[in-house]
Amino acid sequence: MRKLLSLLLFASLPALAADELHLYNWNDYIAPDSVKSFEAQCKCKVVQDFYGDNEELLAKLAAGAKGYDVMVPTSNYVAGMAKAGWLQPLDKGKLPNFKNLMPTYLNTEFDPGNKYSVPYAMSITLIGYNDQKLKELGITVDSWAVIFDPKILQKIKGKVTVLDSQAEVMAAALKYLGYSVNDRDPAHWKQAKETILKAKPYWAAFMAQGYIKELSTGNIWVVHGYSNDIFQADTGAQEARQKFRIRHALPKEGAVLALDAMVIAKTAPRPDLAYQFINFMLDGKNSAALTNITGSGNPNAEAMQFIKPEIKSIKAVFPDAESAKRLEQLKDMNKKERQQLNRIWTEIKAK
Amino acid sequence: MTTTKSQRLHKWLIGGPPLAYLVVFFAIPVLIMVLASFRNPGEFGGLAPLFTEGEGGGQLDLTTENYGRFFSDFLYTELFLKSFAYAAITTFVCLVIAYPLAMLIARSPKKHRDLLVLLVILPFWSNFLIRVYAWMIILGPQSVFVTALNNVLGLLGLEPVTLLYTPFAVIVGLVYVHLPFMVLPLYANLEKHDPALLDAAQDLGANAWWRFWRVTFPLSLPGVYAGAALVFIPALGIFAIPDILGGTGGIMIGNVIKQQFLDTRDWPFGSVLSMVLTVMAVGIAGLAAWVARRSRT
Amino acid sequence: MNRRSRALWAAAIFAYAFLYAPLVIVVAYSFNDSKLNAEWVGFTLSWYGKLFHNEKMLQAAWNSLLIGITASAISTVFGTMAGYAMYRFRMRLLPLLVLAPIAIPEILMGVSLLIFFVLLNITLGMVSIVLSHIAFCIGFVAIVVRSRLAGMDESLTEAARDLGATPWQAFRLVTLPLIMPGVVAGALMAFTLSIDDFVITFFTAGVGSTTLPLQIYTMVKIAVTPEVNAVSTLLMMLTLALILIASRLSPGALRAQ
Repeated sequence: MRKLLSLLLFASLPALAADELHLYNWNDYIAPDSVKSFEAQCKCKVVQDFYGDNEELLAKLAAGAKGYDVMVPTSNYVAGMAKAGWLQPLDKGKLPNFKNLMPTYLNTEFDPGNKYSVPYAMSITLIGYNDQKLKELGITVDSWAVIFDPKILQKIKGKVTVLDSQAEVMAAALKYLGYSVNDRDPAHWKQAKETILKAKPYWAAFMAQGYIKELSTGNIWVVHGYSNDIFQADTGAQEARQKFRIRHALPKEGAVLALDAMVIAKTAPRPDLAYQFINFMLDGKNSAALTNITGSGNPNAEAMQFIKPEIKSIKAVFPDAESAKRLEQLKDMNKKERQQLNRIWTEIKAK
Repeated sequence: MTTTKSQRLHKWLIGGPPLAYLVVFFAIPVLIMVLASFRNPGEFGGLAPLFTEGEGGGQLDLTTENYGRFFSDFLYTELFLKSFAYAAITTFVCLVIAYPLAMLIARSPKKHRDLLVLLVILPFWSNFLIRVYAWMIILGPQSVFVTALNNVLGLLGLEPVTLLYTPFAVIVGLVYVHLPFMVLPLYANLEKHDPALLDAAQDLGANAWWRFWRVTFPLSLPGVYAGAALVFIPALGIFAIPDILGGTGGIMIGNVIKQQFLDTRDWPFGSVLSMVLTVMAVGIAGLAAWVARRSRT
Repeated sequence: MNRRSRALWAAAIFAYAFLYAPLVIVVAYSFNDSKLNAEWVGFTLSWYGKLFHNEKMLQAAWNSLLIGITASAISTVFGTMAGYAMYRFRMRLLPLLVLAPIAIPEILMGVSLLIFFVLLNITLGMVSIVLSHIAFCIGFVAIVVRSRLAGMDESLTEAARDLGATPWQAFRLVTLPLIMPGVVAGALMAFTLSIDDFVITFFTAGVGSTTLPLQIYTMVKIAVTPEVNAVSTLLMMLTLALILIASRLSPGALRAQ
């Protein structure tokens, strides 16, 4: 009996501190080839875990999750994570490729001096749609109205999904009403809530990740989603030889820009591998691979030359100066605001 | 002849270890949850420290604010009522489907009964998620079943329906997952019915419906109550089924509790909701036991 | 068959069909040569092939197996002790603690254990999952063992005691062999419960300790492919085999719930 137990114990030990890099990342936010070439380079294994929403990441950390090396939160959460003691400061000396980054994306208010985080990729939360179906219905997709206006929604009832994220859905509604995404006025929040509730009966589901597949199979026609996911839905549709394409639409009222960053967890089992990985991803070619496969925006100057021209032309991925003016980044909330938002979100989900 | 002292020693030697384990890993976590419902949420989620810095040693940081929030805001009570309704509908539908099945098994020849019961239980032992996923396939817009249904509706001149991501889908999922729990107690009860009673009623001129309604059903009530409790209580706390099949509607209190712990990180409030759910579950279990005991006289 | 019997049969057959059709569909589509779970295109085993190359899936299966064996072994020991104690002695707290985890909604246990582990600074992972599984498996084993003991003939143990055996010898040489089928059935049931558990594992799992049900849940939420059907079919077959064996060993065990 004892032999059996010790055998079992040994069998499970390899999971600890082996030559493994534990990466906690958004789903479909890294090129599979990059993972493979990094594994070859570092002679280690990359173990990936995925989350669909920053809140999920934070909840796991608040529950004391240990064992992640590199995480990729959206930058506005970095300040809070650092204060909570979940991150370790970055030694730039170990990141020679840091110089590849465009200065515009460095030294943000969320992490002055990039003490804890290094820009990874960008995405814009906007609208993705099935171009054939929407053309048939005669709907032009250029505004959040296609998600919130019952008059338009009537024609696409049950074919729309929105993100399962209280922050994102609220931001979209606020933008539709003409407010800033960081507006904390309770009266405006109430207005946003009513707008959402009016539109909800026409939505099929709240989906954080599943909508990519639903778009490429043609089950869902309009989504509130991330630009890189929508890009991948289009790739999927083309692979499946569908008669339609999935297009991005950057609403005229504006949208949320998410600058996602790499951080190293304070309790990282292998910080050395973490540094290797971050430096690897800061290399121009690898950063470009990310954009070429996932369609995400890129803060890396070195990467630009390796990015496919057809992707560079997608405004939703590389917004021009005009569109960039309408983008905002979300700011983190304090405890009270989070509670209020959660209460609104519960009401939205319950009704 | 064992003395009582030696018997007591045995009692604690044998019963002690499992008791200790359950106290540590069941009773204590529940008590911690009760305590958590009176604490403040942490700044970044989780729980705030139990003791705050204060003069003369730490101050106990407890509050009833979480309960206040629950009772002052009708939204959460409304959610409980909704979950109640879902659980009740599920129980009723389960009863309707399970009763004929249980009756059939009870009336079958003895050698077939064990097999028939086994056939009822087997699906239950397959993974819960698989059973829910199966309904995603059947109710999905591209499934054979739904396309056929919509074709028929089209012929009748009616609008096509979406079945997935609706409260209907949630109910179907709930019924499917809990059906065996209703069949077994019903069957256990019906099996014990004395056929002589029904024969006597028939001799006295009663028709089949009367015999069922006035003789069989009342006698089966303890089984009905047991089955109802076994379906209602777990159904009340389910979150995966609304999560997967419910779409934008049909969330139940289990979803909100999960949200508090894994999304919003407001653990004290999540504990409050869990406490209310526990009290409800225990209350209903107690009610079922009391009713069952009464009807036995 | 009279008219009423026929109606009863029809209702019963509908019920059985309702119970089995969905599972049959899952199995059938696991062989369908199409990414969508819609029309039948052709027969293929490719999804099973993909499964065996799916690293995450294999890791999850391994974790589930490891957790299942450990949890069922320990809970069988504790559960047998508990079942015996409940049968032989008058215990007040034990029956309550043994049956409560089975009676209350699972989410309550999951959530309270999450708080418990975090407060005690126990890292969520394989160990926390095993500890949680044991807590709810003890009850099942105890019930099965207790009902088996209730059906056992006391006179044999009494005879052994009369012949001079100590209580431990009587238990080991007479009682245990007699109830062994029940114990094994309980162990198999505990193993199945552990492998299939979703809710409690959902809250107490940590980094790198995904189990098969959690993996299926992630796949269902993100991208439904027939790989899910394939893994579901395999899991179902395993569970079926175990339960059939358990029911052979202890016919009343399954109904003792």
